[in-house]
Amino acid sequence: MPEPVIRLENVRKSFAMPGGERAEILDVPGFVLAAGEQAALEGSSGSGKSTLLHVISGIMRPDSGRVEVAGTDITQLPESRRDRLRADTLGLVFQQFNLLPGFTALENVLVAMSFGSQPPDRARATALLEAVGLAHRLHHKPAELSIGQQQRVAVARALANRPRAVLADEPTASVDAAHQQQVVDLLKNTCTEHGVALLVVTHDPEVARQFPRRLKLEEFNRACRQKV
Amino acid sequence: MSLLGIAWRSIRQRLFTSGLTALSLALGVALVVATLVIGGLVRDAFASGQGLGYNLIVGAKGSPLQLVLNSVYLVSKPIENISWRFYQEFLPAGARPDDAAGRYAGSVAKAVPICMGDYYRSFRVVGTNAAYFDSLTLGEGRPFTFASGRNFRDAEFFGGVLGSAVAAKLGLAVGDEFSPTHGADDGLVHDPFTVTGVLARTDTPVDRGVYVNMEGFYLQEGHAKPVPEGEAAEQTGPEAGGALEISPPKGNESPQATREISQATKASAPADPPQQAPLPFAQREVTAILVETASPGGMPPELLAMGLKTAINEGRDGQAAEPVREIRTLLDLFVRPLELLLLLVTTLVVIVSAIGILVSMVGSSLERSRDVAVMRALGARRSHVLTAVLLEAIILAVGGGLAGWLLGHGIVAAIGPLITTNAGVSAGFFSSAPLGEALLVPFLVVLAILSALLPALAAYRTDVAKWL
Repeated sequence: MPEPVIRLENVRKSFAMPGGERAEILDVPGFVLAAGEQAALEGSSGSGKSTLLHVISGIMRPDSGRVEVAGTDITQLPESRRDRLRADTLGLVFQQFNLLPGFTALENVLVAMSFGSQPPDRARATALLEAVGLAHRLHHKPAELSIGQQQRVAVARALANRPRAVLADEPTASVDAAHQQQVVDLLKNTCTEHGVALLVVTHDPEVARQFPRRLKLEEFNRACRQKV
Repeated sequence: MSLLGIAWRSIRQRLFTSGLTALSLALGVALVVATLVIGGLVRDAFASGQGLGYNLIVGAKGSPLQLVLNSVYLVSKPIENISWRFYQEFLPAGARPDDAAGRYAGSVAKAVPICMGDYYRSFRVVGTNAAYFDSLTLGEGRPFTFASGRNFRDAEFFGGVLGSAVAAKLGLAVGDEFSPTHGADDGLVHDPFTVTGVLARTDTPVDRGVYVNMEGFYLQEGHAKPVPEGEAAEQTGPEAGGALEISPPKGNESPQATREISQATKASAPADPPQQAPLPFAQREVTAILVETASPGGMPPELLAMGLKTAINEGRDGQAAEPVREIRTLLDLFVRPLELLLLLVTTLVVIVSAIGILVSMVGSSLERSRDVAVMRALGARRSHVLTAVLLEAIILAVGGGLAGWLLGHGIVAAIGPLITTNAGVSAGFFSSAPLGEALLVPFLVVLAILSALLPALAAYRTDVAKWL
């Protein structure tokens, strides 16, 4: 069995509410994403999808539990090392793509490279963009690109530092139905080509259905069951 | 991509706001630079007059500062004139008609008279004798040198020497004639003088002067002191060459010059006899006497100057002023405080401009927060985003500062000819105030960092999850 890229054990996360009480958002006894595996995590709004991705990527620290990324328990790392590990091992694709508006497509990829352990590689950045069909849009800023093109830049950027896994947060939510399939195909094919694990969180069952492994957040997040 | 590159792109992303911020900073810096440089030039202009080879100025009773400003810097109005008799008290025996040394002659190494009141196209005309350029110096023993021509001779009653700025501004050269006007530019037009020489640039007020032989000066309408007819006649005398035998004023090197004047005047007499007769002493006055005190036995001239000044000031004939002391007083009382005030105001302008950086960056912090959150999600450390924001402010400050520095020097270059003409010091694009300008760069960078600290800390604390 391939080694796990992401492993969660007894991860819990809660937030303080305005009234002072704490609302538990995550209570995940266990989750594993193996190297090269592609999985969809399906959940409705408020089920803790984004929180889970933030915890896995080290943006948020869980209240308790163990989060391993590429074999390292990131809950024990100081923030700066979590940042470095995130840059080196994880690629993120956001719902709104979140490209930096003042930077060209190429620069958006180069920026991601500049935070990793390896020095920015212009040739690789160019190759990544060419691989997603943007050879002719390298020097265009996001505002000059179509939604589909922006999404491709986001995918290329996620792969900038040769990550072990790509985490995509509702990647189809801001595109129309006609483009949803393109986005899913792009993510799946690109990650397959690069041998990178892919975890897509989505509220859309149609999207989740296209992945070989499909998980319902409500089933393995005990915090959701309590709310229900 | 380096953090500097990220900061630069952030500026380009907000080009209009960033441009306005940099522009306001540039204007502030331009004002500071122009103030520093022009202030330095003004100080230089005054300092240049402190070493003109004389340490006392004797003139009419009144404001010593006015006496110095008028005599040395060729600005302000003359107080009054002093009598010819009083002037002769500074001359040695050989330079006086009675062959007796003047009362102050023992304390005096050089005494050069000047007469003022005429103008030539806005420049001051100074009547003097050849000793002005022959025996006075530019300080530290440096003699006056001529860019072209030579000094006028005492016998050349209508010879004149031009300061470099005058010649350059008016396009006059050796051999050209010019006619001074009486009292003002639109006053009575006097007889023409001929340029015998143009001085090399001295970067002193001398550059702005028109110097004419005082013998010719005295002969102009309105320059003779009215005296009872009998007295004047007594001096010029009935004998034909009487006037020619009277020594004209020439400092302390009289006998040779006296002979020269007599011979030259006699030689030219057939061509122009009535005009060449010198004005009788009784009808003469001088505006001031430039005095270099003696240093007998190697004694510092300043020691004799103190005593001579006291002796003169206790008398009723005139006053003595020390140019260095007066100028120091002027600088301390007026120029430096004014300069400090200007510097304070312009520095406040720069600080306000720096606050503009703060306002601009705080204003765009909402937009920046999203970008910062994205970069943090991509792996940027907090220190990365903090540094990038600070670098953005530093780029704006240095860019605006550099533009302001160029603009400031441009302002100095633009008004340089005016400064050169009026202050007698050269002013151009490369005129500088090295210390002040060198301090300006670190000052701007520190100011920028302080201004950007708030938005930088905001970026540092950005809640990544909230903005994604």
